[in-house]
Amino acid sequence: MSKIKISMLILVLVLIVSASLFVLPKVINPFQMDTVERNILFSIRFPRVIVAFFMGMALGVSGAVLQGILRNPLADPYILGISSGASLSAVAGILSGIYFFGKFTIPLAAFIGASLVSVLVGFFGWKKGRLWPERLLLAGVGLSFLFHAILMLLMSVSADERLGRIMFWIYGDLSTADWSLIPIASVFIISGISISLSRAKALNALILGDELAHSLGFSVRKERLLLFVSISLMTAASVSLGGIIGFIGLLVPHVMRFLIGADNRFLVPASALGGGTLLCMADLIGKSILSPMEIPAGIVTAIIGSPYFLYLLGRRDVLSA
Amino acid sequence: MKKIVISFLLLTSHFLFLTSVYAGEPPNRIVSLAPNITEILFAMGLGERTVGVTNFCDYPNEARKKPKVGGIYNPSLEAVVLLEPDIVVMTMDGNTKEFEERLRSLKIKTYVFKAKRLHELPQGIRDLGTALGVKEKAEGLSREIEISMNRLTNSSLVTRYSSLKKRILFIVWPEPLIVAGSGTAIDDAISLLGCENIAKVTYTSYPKYSVEEIIRKSPDVIFIGEGHMNMKETSRALLKKISKVPAVKNGEVYYVSDSIYRLSPRVINGIDEMARCLR
Amino acid sequence: MSSVHKYTILQFDDVGFFYEKNKEFIHELSFTVSDREFIGLLGANGSGKSTILKLASGILNPSEGSIRLWGKPLQSFRYKDRAKLLSYLPQLLDMNVPFRVRELVAMGIYPYDIIPEMTLSEALNMVGLDGKSDLYIKNLSGGERRRAFIAMTLLQGAGLLLLDEPLANLDIKYQIEVIKLLKELKEKKNISIIMALHDINMALQFEKVMLIKDGKVLGMGNPEIVLSRDLLKEAFDVAIEARSFQTAYEIRNTGS
Repeated sequence: MSKIKISMLILVLVLIVSASLFVLPKVINPFQMDTVERNILFSIRFPRVIVAFFMGMALGVSGAVLQGILRNPLADPYILGISSGASLSAVAGILSGIYFFGKFTIPLAAFIGASLVSVLVGFFGWKKGRLWPERLLLAGVGLSFLFHAILMLLMSVSADERLGRIMFWIYGDLSTADWSLIPIASVFIISGISISLSRAKALNALILGDELAHSLGFSVRKERLLLFVSISLMTAASVSLGGIIGFIGLLVPHVMRFLIGADNRFLVPASALGGGTLLCMADLIGKSILSPMEIPAGIVTAIIGSPYFLYLLGRRDVLSA
Repeated sequence: MKKIVISFLLLTSHFLFLTSVYAGEPPNRIVSLAPNITEILFAMGLGERTVGVTNFCDYPNEARKKPKVGGIYNPSLEAVVLLEPDIVVMTMDGNTKEFEERLRSLKIKTYVFKAKRLHELPQGIRDLGTALGVKEKAEGLSREIEISMNRLTNSSLVTRYSSLKKRILFIVWPEPLIVAGSGTAIDDAISLLGCENIAKVTYTSYPKYSVEEIIRKSPDVIFIGEGHMNMKETSRALLKKISKVPAVKNGEVYYVSDSIYRLSPRVINGIDEMARCLR
Repeated sequence: MSSVHKYTILQFDDVGFFYEKNKEFIHELSFTVSDREFIGLLGANGSGKSTILKLASGILNPSEGSIRLWGKPLQSFRYKDRAKLLSYLPQLLDMNVPFRVRELVAMGIYPYDIIPEMTLSEALNMVGLDGKSDLYIKNLSGGERRRAFIAMTLLQGAGLLLLDEPLANLDIKYQIEVIKLLKELKEKKNISIIMALHDINMALQFEKVMLIKDGKVLGMGNPEIVLSRDLLKEAFDVAIEARSFQTAYEIRNTGS
């Protein structure tokens, strides 16, 4: 039964990827390409689809894992302030105009910002030798507000030329995706997913409660820390690839849980698949619907995501956990 | 003797080649990523060679018919590449550095138009002209602009106003209140006309201003940019709030077209418009 | 019916524990638990019942003294190995876990790399939840939920079950259900059970009772002796008497 659902999801993914590569916004026939079209296919469309898929995977898995660690179905990787920290860092980079690492500067700044915030949140969430879900949540929300405020401050006093750029980065812009960031980002993301998958049983146990997890033979402190680190890595890598894209971490695990159940051994890979597919679709819509103008993928996910989220809230059977 | 002449000719043509990106023939396929660039290209006679513009390039009329590549902040990489441009011309503000780098990584030539202020415009046009192989046309255009600007600066009108030190505010948008601060072409225009921009002491080009501050600074003249909307309606509420200010009391509130917003040859028209209002 | 006990499973030797510095909560606590014992841990709220169970399960570490499991110090066990030997059920079971009954119960095999002897259906059968394996935990009644978690610990195959107030907030019907089940398990599966409770009359069900006050054992042994009027007065600060009511008496008869 679940196998059918997963197969259908894979089918949808294949369709979306094919459309992104060969159909929209302009048809490219892979068997009859001229040089320009080949260039577009391999240098523009291909890396863009890969970036979208990896980012989506990272966000989907991070959402599933975070909802487990925090025992909170409304958790999203950005609730921990990672997005605000990354944005702040990237924006500071944009505003300062410093370009030490060339085109890697902004992604690097975003990555560092995201990681720093994770460390900060972890620091505040740590007490008596381990991470506490409630503390993590509160620290994350608090820091998120703080960084967001500083970000707004910076934006309000900055020269407007760069503002446009900032806005697009904040809303998750995949339009300039190229091959250069993919190798290293994919290493982080694959590592994060692997760690999460290997700790899936522990994650299931953590959902039951710290004491029960302990009773089942898990070191609560170690598992939670490990999972937290994997989320941080994945989210930081995702943010450095293409900015902030919301709702995927929040919604995809919910939908997947509804489709195949809450067992993280299946939920984690399903969320990876679902997240990747969703973001590929959002990017496809963003680059096609008002072509040649491009709508950032993050805006598309917000437009699709919020009404769907509200719809989910209305269905009691879906808001389980 | 012949040998010397030939080698001399070869050397100089080589030198000429080095000093301009396009020796002799301007590029055949130019893409513009900003409305003011499009206007300048057409003004330099390169309209026919322009093969792609942004969705916002609306002047001259011929430009509207050109293939579109997207917005200023969000042009489509693919659309640009598909047009197989010889060169893509971009601005310092609006277009993003990432986009420029991406174009270069795809082996597409780019040129960044560096002029941002009014006084930089003539040289900016000259440099652009040189890079695109239309040096003379560019020279002509920039001279026109310089002459117009000088005319305005030296006019008796202006000398009269500078002794009066008229205080001016240029409102870009009434609600939320956004005005033209320092570092903008508008600010330059105001200085050119010998007046004082009351919103000058800001570090942002288009700051969100406080209504209180307007009342405190009591400008003598207020300009409101028309844009694409019915500004008279939109600005009604704001003008009511500041009705005691000299500009409003004396009926010196003028609605001007948005020629002044674009750093192109038409910016002169915009300045002229403002000057005429002051008369 | 008295059972012959062959092994000492758990041993507390002079165990001390404090939550805050210099304020001892548990003091010089010593007792042993052998195989196939069904012990009731009785005391007022805050008397230390939960703390003792948490110490026994390894969730808390003693500040003084030693705790041994099958003769080895509890702390020396690897987490997974300890989980194969004892299991702990807290008082509050989160009803919002997103799992189905069978998914939850199946988590009992986590400490193991190979499938343990008991199968999922056996465990469900033992607690009487066979027909309900596909239901979501949150849709079960309080008693059923408790039983599902017990099934999980069964699958865990632990020889010692530590249950913190499993009867709390259950209707009397479910309370009796759970007690009956636990007794059955003890007999059939040779499990030892320590259960915290604060219902004095229910304590009469047990073969052995530990009466706790302020972290100290007031008495340990046969409930009819331990639950004397004097000791009860000391434990609960009020003059009361334990009375077995009809049903309790009947269960006692059918259970033995």
